[in-house]
Formats: sequence, structure tokens, C-alpha cells
Amino acid sequence: MSRIAATFERLAESEEGAYIPYVCCGDRGVEFTGELMRRLSRAGADVIELGLPFSDPLADGPTIQAAMVRSLSSGFKVATLFDLISRARSDGMDTPIVVMTYYNLIIRMGLDIFCKRLAEAGADGILPVDLPMEESADLERIAGAHELDVIRLVSPTTNDERMAQILQSARGFVYAVAISGVTGQRDSLPHSAIAMLKRLRDKSDLPIAIGFGISNQEQVRQAIAAGASGVVEGSALIDIYARGLSEGEDGALDLVEKHAREMKDSARAAVASREKRS
Amino acid sequence: MRAKGYFGGFGGFYVPEVLVASLKELERDYQQISQTAEFEAELQSLLRDYAGRPTPLYYARSLSDRAGGARIFLKREDLAHTGSHKINNAIGQALLAKRMGRSRVICETGAGQHGVATATACALLDLECEVYMGETDVERQKLNCYRMNLLGAKINVVKSGSRTLKDSINEAMRDYAATSEDTHYLLGSVVGPHPYPTIVREFQSVIGTETKEQMARETGGLPDALVACVGGGSNSIGLFHPFIDDEHVQMFGAEAAGDGIETGKHCASVVVGEEGVLHGSRTLILQDDDGQVSDTSSVAAGLDYPAVGPEHAHLSASKRAKYFGVTDQEAVLAFHLLSEAEGIIPALESAHAVHLAAKIAREFSKDQSIVVCLSGRGDKDVAQIAKLEGRL
Repeated sequence: MSRIAATFERLAESEEGAYIPYVCCGDRGVEFTGELMRRLSRAGADVIELGLPFSDPLADGPTIQAAMVRSLSSGFKVATLFDLISRARSDGMDTPIVVMTYYNLIIRMGLDIFCKRLAEAGADGILPVDLPMEESADLERIAGAHELDVIRLVSPTTNDERMAQILQSARGFVYAVAISGVTGQRDSLPHSAIAMLKRLRDKSDLPIAIGFGISNQEQVRQAIAAGASGVVEGSALIDIYARGLSEGEDGALDLVEKHAREMKDSARAAVASREKRS
Repeated sequence: MRAKGYFGGFGGFYVPEVLVASLKELERDYQQISQTAEFEAELQSLLRDYAGRPTPLYYARSLSDRAGGARIFLKREDLAHTGSHKINNAIGQALLAKRMGRSRVICETGAGQHGVATATACALLDLECEVYMGETDVERQKLNCYRMNLLGAKINVVKSGSRTLKDSINEAMRDYAATSEDTHYLLGSVVGPHPYPTIVREFQSVIGTETKEQMARETGGLPDALVACVGGGSNSIGLFHPFIDDEHVQMFGAEAAGDGIETGKHCASVVVGEEGVLHGSRTLILQDDDGQVSDTSSVAAGLDYPAVGPEHAHLSASKRAKYFGVTDQEAVLAFHLLSEAEGIIPALESAHAVHLAAKIAREFSKDQSIVVCLSGRGDKDVAQIAKLEGRL
């Protein structure tokens, strides 16, 4: 069983929601990224989403784009990603790692080499943000050969027929995009997101992680009550450590870790209260 | 299942899931609406009475004499309303948006020509208009910004990334992902995900279709060669496409070589770009070893784009068309040449094509003919050139 599947199975058994933080590789330096992964894992992150910075991130909002710009202008190279992952693994970190990337970075290295190096480094999945199902046959075949899950995205505007097709090839978990738009914080979950979660639940037993706009515990409760297995949080974490950096890197990491624990606690409690109600 | 919208191995549909539903709806509505007789009639009447089509095909005798070889004809897109070929696509898509029930139109612009054309079409058809324009471009194209304001459009200054055309496209796509229920994204070139490269080509093909008829009247046959500048590639595809099956008609694209290909400061994506995915399309891209998209440079803001429309990538790979780099310096010389020889001040973008045409004309005989797409007029560039030459 893949590390991702085993994680969600364990969470289902213990009736916990998943907390999945997103980390932009190389923002504030590669060492900071490594430390951030370690702290998030310690705080109870169930999967870590490692984002590769790209020059033209059209699915991302201003916070993540700014993080990517900082990372790239400090000289981040794609090859560093593999080092980050293998270092985390040799330090004993067992949290599943999913790499979120724009497709051009995979094409440039070559699909086979990219997947091979990811698998060797110890990653568990790939989440190609700008690769819809129409174009994904090559990557699914090659990633599959390297035992990497290709995580599929659905959005509130994905209709039922298409959702069913996407779910057929989905592996690991489904990534539900909470809003029609880009990443970045919002206050609450829109109705269309709740409706999407219900539609997904009716069609599949795969775990569902919802992301884009997630930043607070109320959203975690809403999402899990509506059928999500967990939440993904990105831009909010970047804002938190940006604020904390005035206290130095340790201060920033402490703030992130504290916030991650609270989010994980909410995710843990939310499933129990959902089960009680139903 | 393979996506639609491929030109050989290029094109396709590489977009985040949030954009899929809107683009599929656009594809479906475009196919239905553009086939109807009323749409066609309304488009034709606006192109004729409002945009000033057909644009003339002019035999540039003096330019031809100076070049010394083939007879050079200019397809005068600079005489179309708003001063460039961009109006053809803007009117077409704005009409489409109206019939799709959209009330708001967004677009990107580099030099500002597409922004002006879109703002114009929106003023005409009573659509709300917002233009995304890079901060760098806003500074170098102040006149076009004022024109857009006059026409009632709002300019959203893009301060992300390199602050030029590619970032404006990113921002417009982000806007569209969140607003497509009431908004149409009026993309200005033959780039982006399917169906844009096809839609824009169809609205621009009027350039080549008219040229074919006009050449038949003028010379009794087809031209021997076509020349056009290529940024994203809309005026060039518009000229080339109706001639693709006419195998004896050679096609030449002039890309911006900026300071020179060897300096790395250019935007010659067909000449030296490599395959990848940008803005939803598999095409030729200027990028580094990691796949990060390169910053580009050209004296002509309208060519300052690190990729090219997928159909051009295919025309190049299949050797149907040939692409050459033209430097800033060569383009500026051609800008002066056409102004002095013919009394026509070309857009700096079009000046790239004029240079290439004058150069290749020598390889043809005097009874052969070359058509150059003079895609826009140079008023917008006069201040920039005067400043460059220390006269302002």
C-alpha cells in the first residue's frame, strides 16, 4: 500500500481529519524549507505538499507567487527539490510528500527522469496544477511505473460527468479546489464548495482534501462536516511565517508550528463531531 | 482521450481545472454562434463600415526599388480602425461575448494595440472593459493608456513577474478563472489554451483572404512569398493561414532578435526556443535549463513575449514557414526606411517584417512578388524612437 493510502486508512480508523500544509520550496532559503517541513510534520501534518516555484504560476494568487519569486530570485533550482526530500527521509520523516508543480518543469527535465528522481528521493505523489485529464495520460503512465500517485484536482465548476471521469484515474486522494479562482485566503467556504464536496462524496470513496482559500479552524469544521477528509493550507502559512520573521527564523517556525497544531486539532475533532451527528 | 486544438504536436489544453468548464463553454458557443448567418452578417458589416475593411494592398514601388528584387506589396492593416490588425479579432470576440450573454470583457495587452482595439470594440458594443497591462509597458506606452481611458476602459497595472505581456496574460487568466460567469476573456493573440489559437486565427484570417483576392486582381496570381512579424503570431497567422495549402507560396516570420540572439536579450522563441508548456499551450518557449520562463527584450513591446502561438511552432517544425530574427537596430532602420521611401510610418513590430522583406526581396526576381503584412501604424512609437535617438 502506498504511504498516502496507508495514511488515509489510519486516519479513517482513528476518525481524524487530515491536515495538509503546502510549503513553497526555497522561500526564505532551502534550509528554512527543510526546517519548516520538520516542524509541520512534528505538529501533526498528515501529508506535506511541496510546491515547486515557477516563473508563471497562473493558478496561484499573490501570496504564493511572491513566495515563488523570492525563491527563484535567491537561485532555487529544481534539483534541490530531490535533495530536500531525500534529506527529510534520511532524517526519519515518514509523512507522505506530494509535489505540487506546473507541468513545464516536469517536461523540461523529462517525465521519466523527473518521476524517477522523485521516487528515489522518497516522494509519494505528484500534483500537476495545470494538467487536466485530457493531457495527463503520459504522466499517469510514467508516474505509475515509478509508483507515484498522480493527484487529480476537481473544482466547483467540474460537472458530474467530468468528475466521474476524473475520479476513475484519481490516485491517493482527490484535491478539491474550494473556489473558482486562485490560491489565497478567504473567510469561509463558498456554497459551491460545499455542494462540490457532497457531489464528490456521492461518487467516490477516495479521500478528499480541500484547498485554496483555507486559513482558519471554522473552515476546517465546515469542510469536514460537508464530507471532506481533510484540508490543504498554503497562503495562510506563508503569511504567518512572514509575520513571524521579525522575531527571527525560530520565532517564525514556532508560530507556524503552533498554528499547524491548532488546525490539526480542529481536523481531528471535526470528524468525531460529524460522526456523532450522523 | 486526446485534447482538441493540436497543430501537429503543438497546442492543446494545459490549464488548471478551474478554467476547464469556461473554456469548454467558449469552444461550444464559438462553434455554434460563429456558424450562424446573423453573426457572420453582423461581423462583416462591422468590419466593412466600422473597421474600414478591406484594407488596401499597396504596391510599394520605392521600397521595392531600394530593396532591389521582388515587387513588395504592403497589406495595409495600419489603415484599419485603431491603427492595427488587432481590431479584427477584438470585434469578432466582442460580438461573440455579447451573444454569449457576457457583460464584462477583460484582456491583456503589451504594446497597447490590443488593449485599444478591445476597448474600442467594447465601447461600440456597450461592454464593460478591463485591460491588464504590465507596469513596464504602461510606462513605455503612455499614449495608448490614455486612448484606452478615453474609450472607457479601466487599466489594471500588473506588477507581478517581469511586468510585461506574459504577466498580463497570467493576471487575466486568474481574473477569468474567478469571473467567467459574466466575463469573457478576449485574448489578443493566437496563444493560450484551445480554443483561443483557433478562434483568433479565424478572426484574423480575413487578412490573408483579402490578400489572396487582391493579389489575384493585381497580378493575376498568387504572391511568391509572405512576410509578417511574429510575437504571439496573430497578424502572421492571419496572413499565412489562407495560403497554407498553396505550396508554392513561401512564408517568412520575423521574430524580434532584440540586442542580438547571442546576447540572450531577445524574444525569438521560434528561432531558439524549446518545447514546453506556457499559458495553456504546448509550444516553443524561451526558458532556462529548469524550465523557468526567460525574461525577454525587444524595442517593440508587441513582440515582447517569450513563447509563440502553437500553430507557428507547427509551421516551423513542418518546415512550411521559416522564421528569422531581426534585431532592434535593423527594425529601427526599417522604420526610417519605410517612412522615407513610402511616406508610411510603420509600427516597430511591423518594421521587423519590413526589414526581413527588404532583405529576402533580393533573392527573388523582379517579376516575383512579396506581400508584407504592415500590421500597425507607427504613431505610438514616434516618441520612443525620438527619445532613443536623442531628439526628444
